[in-house]
Amino acid sequence: MDYILILLFNTTTWLGCVLSALRYAGLWFILRKSGLKGWWALVPFARDYQIGRCAGREPEGRLTCILAFFSTAIQFTANALDHRTGQDEAISGVVLSLTILSLTLRLIRFIYQIRVWEGLTEVYGKNRTWVRLWTFFGAVPALLWGLSPKYVPQWKVEDIKNELAAVVRNGSAKELKDGLSVNLRERTAIEFFEKKYLLRNVHLSIAPGRMVLLLGGSGAGKTVFLDAVSGYEKADAEILLAGGNMYKQYKSMQYQVGYAPQKDTMRVKDTVYNTLMDAAALRLPKETSAEDRKKRVEEVMEIFGLTPTRTHLIEKLSGGQRKRVSIAMELISNPSLFILDEPDSGLDGVMARELMKELRRIADQGKIVIVITHTPDRVIDLFDDVIVLAKDRSRVGRLAFFGTIGEARTFFGKESMEDVVRTVNPKSVGGEERADEFITKFEEARYA
Amino acid sequence: MPDTTGVRTDKKTMRIRHRGRESQVPIYLGKLFRMFVYQNDWKVLPMAAVIAGLVAMVIRNIFFRTMEGTLMSAFALTCVAVWNGCFNSIQVICRERDVVKRDHRSGMHISSYVAAHLIYQAVLCLLQTAITVYVCLLVGVQFPENGLFTPWMTVDMGITLFLITFASDALALWVSSLAHTTTAAMTIMPFVLIFQLVFSGGMLTLPEWCGPLSDLTISKYGLTAVAAQADYNNRPPVIAWNSVVRMWNTKVGGTVTVDQILDFLSKDEIPAVHNLREETLRKSFTPRQIAGMIRESGEEGAQAFAMLMDALPEEAADKPFDLSFTVGDTVDYMAKEPVFQSEREKEVNMSMTVGEIVDALGRDKTREQIRQKTMEASYNAVYEYSRVNVAGCWASLVLITLVNAALTTITLEFIDRDKR
Repeated sequence: MDYILILLFNTTTWLGCVLSALRYAGLWFILRKSGLKGWWALVPFARDYQIGRCAGREPEGRLTCILAFFSTAIQFTANALDHRTGQDEAISGVVLSLTILSLTLRLIRFIYQIRVWEGLTEVYGKNRTWVRLWTFFGAVPALLWGLSPKYVPQWKVEDIKNELAAVVRNGSAKELKDGLSVNLRERTAIEFFEKKYLLRNVHLSIAPGRMVLLLGGSGAGKTVFLDAVSGYEKADAEILLAGGNMYKQYKSMQYQVGYAPQKDTMRVKDTVYNTLMDAAALRLPKETSAEDRKKRVEEVMEIFGLTPTRTHLIEKLSGGQRKRVSIAMELISNPSLFILDEPDSGLDGVMARELMKELRRIADQGKIVIVITHTPDRVIDLFDDVIVLAKDRSRVGRLAFFGTIGEARTFFGKESMEDVVRTVNPKSVGGEERADEFITKFEEARYA
Repeated sequence: MPDTTGVRTDKKTMRIRHRGRESQVPIYLGKLFRMFVYQNDWKVLPMAAVIAGLVAMVIRNIFFRTMEGTLMSAFALTCVAVWNGCFNSIQVICRERDVVKRDHRSGMHISSYVAAHLIYQAVLCLLQTAITVYVCLLVGVQFPENGLFTPWMTVDMGITLFLITFASDALALWVSSLAHTTTAAMTIMPFVLIFQLVFSGGMLTLPEWCGPLSDLTISKYGLTAVAAQADYNNRPPVIAWNSVVRMWNTKVGGTVTVDQILDFLSKDEIPAVHNLREETLRKSFTPRQIAGMIRESGEEGAQAFAMLMDALPEEAADKPFDLSFTVGDTVDYMAKEPVFQSEREKEVNMSMTVGEIVDALGRDKTREQIRQKTMEASYNAVYEYSRVNVAGCWASLVLITLVNAALTTITLEFIDRDKR
């Protein structure tokens, strides 16, 4: 019986080795079909990441790679300890714990790998039945998809990486005494030891009293741009606001920037008045007297028509009123740069227009107001300028236009701002995919 | 617009100064106390009363009375405190994560935010502890009068329960700062609780290698402090005797040798044996029966004695007469007589109830002996009734609280790096 078990075990082990070898061979060709080096299939751990890239599931691929590495390392440590220490109870406990941890990580990796197989199936345009095959008999689909010319990925990794991006020209924005000057060379992020560009070459100046519309498709880098401008996330840039350097003097200048996020992030069980009083205590200078704080809160409530609701809990307010409270919180410190991320989301046309009118009034007081909105046309008459950000071919956020509304219409040949966005958006989201054309056109016109 | 012309500036940098760390704490403290009223955070107080009531009803007859009962009650009270602490704060940060991010962007110091939470949670834990102790007294848990540190045991015990609750609260605060959503926090919580309860080492004997893990738990120090204050080591153990009583009518059987029986029956110092040995046995014999027994013994002169008996007239030979002797005499005779030596290794089947055995050994003395032995076996130096021991546990709990508070602060300092 023992001999049969050993034979069975050895056969299973050998079979496993052969199937793995076939799978890696198949993956070699799959990687090549996706534009990557085939030999990645032979590199333990890293192949998980590369397959994730082929599947358009890079985060999942990265995680499976990390999980594979740690589960193997932990199991290796457990085995080493087990061999060395024999019957020591304390070490046995550690070995057991490490083994359980390793198994847990393997289980998590298995789940994430299913997601990668799903992605790969989508890239190859096959139905989900293939996911089961990939999960349980990986060698079969790997060889089939790798060797057969019938199986072609609809999308290649090299499309993203190697194509030439639109022309990048160095420039600089004019420094304004009281306004905002943005000279953003690049904003990068390190992802899995790899440098990624999020934004490049955005140079613009905005004078005080201007209300600016920030347009761009999803992932064009609007929020990244605003975070960089407000100093919240530093970029390779020089941001000057009223003569002060935002990055060098962030501690003192952060109160000159008001940032109203897209979501109404407030404690909904608090009253309007208390919320604004707390915001005032946090944002106003330390020496501001309690009386002055109250006065300022009263003023802001008056501006946004919140006085009748001062004792109401935030949760009892309408969507429009909540937005007003959220914006009022930022206006309390009387910032010179006011940034609003989709303040009109969830509001009907009338309410959205009323809110934008209030923002216009704030701009008319000599402040710079930058607004992101996805429905600009209903309020476009209230804006002075427009910034258009778009993703170039290398998927980096770039400045496609900055100027007045009228200039934008001429530049893009579109009347509607929503059409402008559609022009620069990729085809996958229903756009015309002309971002590179306008990025190049704008840079050439500007720095000619 | 606020007039900032009169605002004092930092002399060196000419900057307008905003609220620093210390002066931001009251802002958040005020907010948290408002939330206590508006966001129904007060619900944790009646919940503490209900939990304390349920536990107190179970422990009222055993806490401070018996060794095992004291340990179990200490464990139960520790669980109550850990539970209260964890559920006070497990959701408080993750439910307002976006708000924290926004406030941080607007100049909020994370340390001020965490400090405000700790002060607020300390008040909450203090109230819960007071409620727990009060409910225990109300239900009828008999606390001894004097504590180790104060003249009131309730105060000493309250301090311990507060420290356990607060340390658990700080731990849950850290979990809440790690979790991005309330769902995630509530998923992690059971693992934290199970780890705390299993690795306290109070109810389950842990393998040696679990020691370092156990040292990390709040429950270990909490349980130790409560058990030590309740003077666990000097409480009478009852479990072993109760087990004997439960088995009173259970028959126990087995084979014993004649030698073992004789040896047992020779122990005059055992009261039951002594009484047995004093008992007088009476039996009637006829001279003829006696002659028969002597003849069978084959001893020297037995034949002559038998012939003498045979010579007796019929009436006299068959006339019975009483012989009187004690059990003790019989046992001693059997132990000494060579004629019985060959029988001593002989095995005899015996069957007795536990009650009969205990009664044979003497009920009171046996009970006392069982208690003494169990007490010796159950003595645990970890639960030593001393100020040093309890103060050590308190210090550990304070340290755990501080470490968790520091971890919460460090974790939240990275809140801006959340996936955007």
